[in-house]
Amino acid sequence: MGRSVLIIDDSSTMRKIVNRSLRQAGLEFETVLEAGDGQAALDILANQKPDIILSDINMPTMDGLEFLKRKAADPSIKNIPVVMITTEGGSADMVEQSRSLGASGCVKKPFTPDQVNEIIGPLL
Amino acid sequence: MDFTEKIIAVTKEIFETMIMVDVTPGIPLEEHVSKFRCSMSAMVGFAGYKQGNLALHTPAKVAMGLTQDFLGMDINEINADVEDAMGELANMLAGSLKPFISTDGGKVELSLPSVVYGEEYTLTVVNKADWVIVPFTVSHGDFLICLEFKKQH
Repeated sequence: MGRSVLIIDDSSTMRKIVNRSLRQAGLEFETVLEAGDGQAALDILANQKPDIILSDINMPTMDGLEFLKRKAADPSIKNIPVVMITTEGGSADMVEQSRSLGASGCVKKPFTPDQVNEIIGPLL
Repeated sequence: MDFTEKIIAVTKEIFETMIMVDVTPGIPLEEHVSKFRCSMSAMVGFAGYKQGNLALHTPAKVAMGLTQDFLGMDINEINADVEDAMGELANMLAGSLKPFISTDGGKVELSLPSVVYGEEYTLTVVNKADWVIVPFTVSHGDFLICLEFKKQH
């Protein structure tokens, strides 16, 4: 069975850019799932278990940090690796907060496919 | 702090990395611009230790051209894709400038982006603010990036 990824971002543009960057980085996924916020992601994860999750932090309804908390509390999904993709990657406290909540890494926008591969590749 | 060089640096990085287009900065404006025609303005607010906002003002045809470059698809009208793409660009610009805004340790939060589009509109900052507006040129035309902060007392 092929690999699958869940991309969480309230911007449809960003979801397309992340998907394109994954392909450009040589990271092929048979299934690409998309959610507009943390709650929509949890709804998807109730039925599907992707190999990796890529998530924005600053989102309406449920942001990326709250999503990490909820995910960590659910034994059925807590081991799926999450990489945060955020404009606030330069902020050390935001990165630390994400890591303390279980994020495996952080990609700062703007990013190149090589940077995406460097952080996400080893987690697959 | 003079933000002109920071705005130019982050704008070039974002446009050249994420959209893969060359962008040429111009000379910062000496007079504030608040009236726009056939344009789109995407804005992100700063709140907390420092308050203000960042705005990306683009003529409609430039917004459509940049979205086309961003998404790699034909864009012939202002639609949700254009609004989303311009909002995301403003978000990345504000996020990239944030570390330079909160250099002295104060916590600054970003709002979600908001986008205005219309045939003719006026945008006004209610409180007196310090501002810098930098014009840029891409192959589709010109656009402005405006950074404003409430005056510190």
